[in-house]
Formats: sequence, structure tokens, C-alpha cells
Amino acid sequence: MTDKRAETEQLARVWDNPGGWRYLTNVNNSVVGLWYFAAAFAFMLFGGALALIIRMQLFVPESTLVTSEFYSQVFTLHGTVMMFLFAVPIFEAVAILILPGMLGARDLPFPRLSAFGFWCYLIGGVFVCGSIFFNSAPDSGWFMYPPLSTEQSGIGADIWLLGLSFIEVASIAAAVELIVGVLKCRAPGMHINLTPLYGWYVLVVGGMILFAFPPLIAGDILFELERLLDWPFFDVRRGGDPILWQHLFWIFGHPEVYIIFLPAIALLAMIVPTFAQREITGYSWIVLSALGTGFLSFGLWVHHMFTTGLPSVSLGFFSAASEAVAIPTGIQIFAFIATVMLGSVVRSVPMLFCLGALAIFIIGGLTGVMVAVAPFDFQVHDTYFVVAHLHYTLIGGMLFPVMAGVYYYYPLVMGKQLSRKLGIWAFWLMMIGFNTAFLPMHLSGMLGMPRRVFTYGAERGWTELNMISSVGAFIFAAGFLLLVWDCVRPKKHQEQVQRNVWNAGTLEWAARFGDSWGMRSIPRVTSRYPLWDDKDFLRKLDEGEGLLADAKEGRRETLVTSVLDAKPIHVLRVGEPGWLPMIAAAGLGAVFIFMTFKWWLPMALGGAVFLTAVLRWLWTGTAEIPEKQTKDVGDGLRLPLYVSGYKSTGWWAMFITMTGDLTAFLALVFGYFFFWTIHPQFPPAGVEGPGWFWPMVAGLLVLLTWGLTLAARSINGAGNSGMARLMLGASLVVTICSGLALAAGPWTTGLDPTSHSYPAIVWCLVLWVLAHLATGLVMQAYGLARLAYGKATPTHDADLWNITLYWHFTAFSGVLTALVIGGFPYLT
Amino acid sequence: MIHKSPVTEEVERETGTGTDLWSVIISPSIWALHFLACYIAAAIYCEKLGRDAPLDSVRMLVIVVTVLALGGIFWSGIRLWRVHDRSLTNNDFEYEHNTPEERHRFLSHVALMLSVLSAIAVIYVAIPMLYLETCR
Repeated sequence: MTDKRAETEQLARVWDNPGGWRYLTNVNNSVVGLWYFAAAFAFMLFGGALALIIRMQLFVPESTLVTSEFYSQVFTLHGTVMMFLFAVPIFEAVAILILPGMLGARDLPFPRLSAFGFWCYLIGGVFVCGSIFFNSAPDSGWFMYPPLSTEQSGIGADIWLLGLSFIEVASIAAAVELIVGVLKCRAPGMHINLTPLYGWYVLVVGGMILFAFPPLIAGDILFELERLLDWPFFDVRRGGDPILWQHLFWIFGHPEVYIIFLPAIALLAMIVPTFAQREITGYSWIVLSALGTGFLSFGLWVHHMFTTGLPSVSLGFFSAASEAVAIPTGIQIFAFIATVMLGSVVRSVPMLFCLGALAIFIIGGLTGVMVAVAPFDFQVHDTYFVVAHLHYTLIGGMLFPVMAGVYYYYPLVMGKQLSRKLGIWAFWLMMIGFNTAFLPMHLSGMLGMPRRVFTYGAERGWTELNMISSVGAFIFAAGFLLLVWDCVRPKKHQEQVQRNVWNAGTLEWAARFGDSWGMRSIPRVTSRYPLWDDKDFLRKLDEGEGLLADAKEGRRETLVTSVLDAKPIHVLRVGEPGWLPMIAAAGLGAVFIFMTFKWWLPMALGGAVFLTAVLRWLWTGTAEIPEKQTKDVGDGLRLPLYVSGYKSTGWWAMFITMTGDLTAFLALVFGYFFFWTIHPQFPPAGVEGPGWFWPMVAGLLVLLTWGLTLAARSINGAGNSGMARLMLGASLVVTICSGLALAAGPWTTGLDPTSHSYPAIVWCLVLWVLAHLATGLVMQAYGLARLAYGKATPTHDADLWNITLYWHFTAFSGVLTALVIGGFPYLT
Repeated sequence: MIHKSPVTEEVERETGTGTDLWSVIISPSIWALHFLACYIAAAIYCEKLGRDAPLDSVRMLVIVVTVLALGGIFWSGIRLWRVHDRSLTNNDFEYEHNTPEERHRFLSHVALMLSVLSAIAVIYVAIPMLYLETCR
């Protein structure tokens, strides 16, 4: 027994969260998740305050409370904050906070990446929000349509672009973390058919982020190149087209709605079974609907562009897909309703919010089916009807489920119960307030009130409806503030809740409040609701009868299992607390922020800080050769401490990141062909570049440097590290030559990117590949250094595997770019 | 809470490793390719030939692509149906336990129903093309 106690103390010491100043160095998911959550909530309150300014302004006709300019900043920032700084990050926050517990992992596989993502998000968010206090906030709507946004003089558009690009880094970091977490860090025995539904939803959403966010990043690059360097991607006078931005924005923007909705509805999938006291009905149907929704949501983007004059057959395709997505969405809702009906419902505040969410979301879904019909959309486009629709889907599909989640998980995270009485009050104030505010907007929209007008005339007949909406908005806000008060009020005298206070069946409730290690030992799971099905489960867990019950080596460790059947395959040493993630985020933040003001020197310094911090982080904290090959994890099982290639989580992280990166690249290629489509002559007459010669040379050199990198990995694997070093050294030279050759094409033929969209998009593709070659160069040098210093060896070659994987993608982009810019002009 | 099934030990399947995550996403991926093919073909055609151009040739293309897509989904569905049907016990709709057999049955079910959803979505997307005459 003393042995077990020593183990427990050791675990507690290893997983202890640093205090004092070093509190900020924390990387543990339970701390970072909480920071994330608090920040998202703070931004939400800020966005809500902006909404109240909007409602005060619209309370009476001809109001002069705020100016038109300020009003534009307010609604733009309201939309931006709610979408980018609340709705998406709250998903990341909740997932980082509870997912490891649900899967039976001690932490997510890349805790420092979570911390890095959080700091990026915080810095970027404060920067974007702060701009309004200097009267320089973005003011052309949350989707930033050019030419309004490109040609207006203010700095707001740059703040929007750069601030949000920076925050998108955090989202992609979270996607990497969460996908690998769900696939590789489930407790042993948790086959894919036993994975909690929340995990499935996170997996789907992580995948969606990889295909949805990068097109926006590509759009941001084009946009910023136009703002900063006058490259005319969206300027019609020089062969650009504003519609391209709309495509890129909405290829991101529509899936984003589901990126917000699915993880929130996933909370319902966890909460409803608990309060119905039965397992979820139609588990497999919910999984397939989530997957189906994830796919179909990518076929909807043009329904935001129904009035841009696209051919009606294009509208038809997107209208049809928009109707089709109602099928899987409906299946999920029916499964939840069926679970409620088949169970015996325990009345509780989380359940109240769940039911409210369903009611509101269904109304939003129905108006969604209405606006998916193009002729109806023509009538209500850009009116308050759309405002009502989107708030019904987002409040019902995201805010209410998240509030249900707050009430449900508060005891787990904070150890205290929220007040039932205040909760019921908050719910009814929010429910009544919300409907009072937004139901009349359907009517004011039908009566023709456009979005984004800062005031309206009394003769329009919108006055009463707007007054009702404004009153409702304040009731809604009161309910929300009540909830916030309930969360932050001192609860010193309140007793700590007992473990698993709601009698839930899923694994996260096995955690004890205050344990930073997640679980005492990693249990073997045999069902979807282990706490219900195995009465002895908690005792076994607490007595350390599961796997990895100790931390003898003084390192933070978690178990990696196989994707489908969750067989233990590897012990992963996860990151320890440290300043590097924060320093790296600050450096990257400086790059983005100083670029806004065109302060090039501080920007370069920020870049140097970022690069140094990341390299140091990688050098000291990744692919570390362990002191022994295997570790006894209990149950007579010995698992390796070091794996490389596709067995390792790092390889998967690289694969996922590069998939997102490839999507961004393909979005730029889409831009090239988009310009070809709209121009009768493309390349324009009289433009010769970039010719076929230099692109071809560049393509061949890229293939050569890729081949050298791949060969270095294989030869090192075969035991010849010396030869591998030689090849990596050679690859450095070839990489530099390939970059020069690629730039030589447009350079020698004198392509001027400011003259027309054709040279601009050619240069843009070239710049993209050059940036990737430069990164690849750093990686090759890093690999060389790792071999030279003995940090990588023939048997410990994870670094080389990851570098090669990066080069697979970069070689593809390089060759495709060479073929497109060098070959395509000869085909037309 | 959970019914006990006779299959609780690990059973090797005669169909080999069975369904994996990749076969789950085959059908929706076919939908995505079909969708992109229809949209891109029509968009380029209409942009290059003007708004008065009749849709005839691009309609043929959409019909051909639709037939191909449905064929692909059907093939994927049949494949899954065979694997699904060869389940070693009679309780085809039970997959709450921790055996590879039930994991496999679960994935087959998800993939099969996704094929149905994808087929419906493919048909939906093709419908407008059957009604419209020109690029207007």
C-alpha cells in the first residue's frame, strides 16, 4: 500500500502545476483550457457590449447616439469578435479542457502547442478588439468585402486581416492537437465504436478546420498583398475580381458555421444521456450524421453569394446541397429528442439549456431551409431576416449548448456547483429575451430593413419592431450577466461537490477535483459508459490498477493507442511547463502586429524571436532519445518510449498541418484558374513571363532536393549516418538553387505584379513556394544538425521522418507551381 | 444498461481487417468530387460561352458524372454490405462492446448509411441541371 502511496506522490509531483509567476508557464490541459475558456468568455462579453450599442442606436428612428462611422466599426467588430474570438475558440477551450478526461488520457499529445495556440489567440484578440478604442477598428462588415475594404483608407482592414490570420494559427494548432488526441490517445480498449460522441464530433470538426481555414488564409494573403503592395487581385480596373474574395471567404465561412455548431451540439450528446439516465439513442446514426454534415457543409458556400449574378445553374447546385444538409442535421436532432423521450429525464439547469437550444436551433434551421431557396433569398438577402436567421442558428446551435456545458461541467472543473435558482432565472431571461429580440427581426427584414444601416426613418414602419428587439436584447443581456455572476461569485463557503455529481456514465467524470494528472491510472475501457456499466471502475482506477500508474522517471507521460482498436502501442512523453510557447507566440504576434503598421525592423526582430524560440523548443523538447528503450506500464506490458515515422504522434501532427497547408496552396491555385476563367485572354496580351525554362529548372531542382532528403532518411535508417549528413548538406545547396530558379522565371521576364492580376497571381504562387522552400531549408539544416550532434541516429530518426514528410508536400507544391505558371500559358 | 452479447472475446474475421476509417469517407468523398466537377464544369462553361449559351453539352457531362458517382457509391455500398452481412453473429445492430468484430460492424453501418446519404446528395445536386435550359 505504501508503494502505491509513493506512486501517487510521485505522480502529483511530476504533474504539479507551477505557481507564482511561473503559473504562466503552465501547459497542462486543465490550466490552459481554463485560460482559453476565460479569454473566450471575456471576448464574448465585449462582443455582447457592442451588440447592446447597436440595439441602443436602433431603439428609435433617426437616432444620433453614435456616428455612422463608429456604428460601422461596432457591427464589424461585433461579428468578428463573436465568430473568431468566441465561437471557434470556445470549441477549442472546451475540447482542450475536457477531451483528455473523456478519452482517458493524462493530457493532449502536444500540450505546449495548446499553450502556444492560446497565447496567439490572446495576443491577436486583444489587438483586434483594442483597435476600437483608437477609433481604428475594421468597419466594412465581418466578411470584409472588397472593394469597400481594400479601397477605404483606414488601417482597420489590416488589423482585421493580420489579427485574424494570427488567430487562425491558433485554430489550426488546436485542430492538429485534437485530431491526434482523438485518434491516438484513447484509453486502451476504447475501440472507435466506443469513443464518446464528443470525440467523434471533435474529430470531424478538426478535419473541417483543415479544409476550411486555409482558404481564408490564402484569401488573407491576397488581400494583404493588395493592401500592402498594391497587387490588384480584387481591383477590376487591373484584371482583378472582388468575387474571388467572396469565394475564398465563404469556402471558409460556411463550413465555419458547422465548425461552430457541431462541437456545441456535441455537448448535448454528452449531457442529454446523463440527464435522461440512459445511453444515447442511435449512436452510429449520430456519428454518420456528423460526418455527413461535415462533408456536405463544404458544398454550401455560394448560398451566401446568391445575389452576385452567378449563373442560375451554379445557384441550383448550391441550393440543392443546402437543402441536403438538413437531412443529417435533422437526424442528430431526432436522436437527441428520442433519447430524451426514451429516458426518464432528471430536471436540471443543463437540461433546460439543452431543450432551449433544440427549440431555438430548429427555428433557425427552418429559416435556413427557407433562405437556401434562391428566389426567397433574393428577397431577404442583406435584410434583418438574415440577421434573425443567423442568430437563431448560432444562439440555438452554439450559445445555449455551451451554456448547458458550463452548468454541466462547472462542478467538474471548479469543484463547486452553480446555483440552480440563478440558473433557472438566467435561462428564462435569456430564452425570453432572445426571442423578444430576434423574432421581430424576421418581420423587420421582410419589411425591407437592410442590415448594417446605422439608422432609419420613422416613416418606414420599423420603429415598433426595433424597439421590441432592443428591449429583448437587454433582457437577454441581463440573463447572461446573471450567469456570469453565478460563475464568478465567491463560493468559499459552498461545499465541494462529490465526485461525478450528475451520475454521468462517461470517463471524464472519473476525475477527482484537484488532480492535475487527469487520472490516477489509465483504465481499460470496455463500454461507452464505463461508470454506469462497471460499478467497480472507480475503485480500480483510484487504486492504480490501470496502466501507467506511475511516473518513476519523473516525466509527464501518456499512453498512445492504435486508431481503430485502441491497443496500447507507445508511451508518449508530453511537454513540461516552460516559457517557450509564450515567447514564440509573442514573437509571431509581433510579426503580425508590426506588419499592420509597416514597422519593418520590429517586425523582423519579432520574426527572429519566433524562429529562435521554435528552434529551441524543437531542439530541447522533441524527439528526445530516452534513457531506455521500453517502459513497463503495468499488466505485464512493456511499451517503447520512442517511435518514429507514422507510428509517432509527431509525424501525424506534421501530416495534418501540411494537409491544411496544402489546402491553402490549392486555394491560391484556384485563384490562378479563377482569373483564367474570367478573362477572355489569359495571360493578357503582351505579357511574356514567366516562360517555361526557369519554372522547369526550378521544378526539377525541387524534385532533386526532395529526393536527396528522402534518400538521407533511408540511408540513415540503413545505418549510414555519415552519408545521410552528406546528402542533407547537398540538399541545402539544391534547395537554395531551386528557389533562385523559381524566382528567375517571373523576374527575368519582367513581370510587374502591380500591373495586372496575372503577374500578381504568378508572383503570389512563387512567393508561397519560396516561403516553403525557405522553411524546408531550415528543416534540412536542422536535420543535419540533429545528426551531427547525435540527437538523431539510425534508430532514433523521428526528426528525419517528419522533415521528409514536410518535403513530400513542398515538392508537390513546387512542382505543381512550376507546371502551372510555366506550362499552363502554353495551353491557352 | 447494456445487454450482454455472446461475442465478447476477440474473433478473427474471415473478411480480413474489415472496414477502416478510409472506407467510411469514400462515399462522401465521391459526393465532393461530383459536386466540384458539376460546379466547375458549369461555371467555366457559362463564363466562357456567355449567359445565352444553351446548357446541352454541360448537361450531358453532369449526367455522365452523376451516373459515374452513383456507380462509385453503389460499388462502395455493395462492398460494405458484403462485409457487413458477413457478421459473425446475428445481432447486426449491436456494437456497444469492445471487440474488433463490433467495431467493424459499427464502421460498416456508418459507412453504408453515409453511402445512402451521399447518393441522395448526388441526386439532389444533379436535379437543377435537368430543369435549366441556358446559362442565364
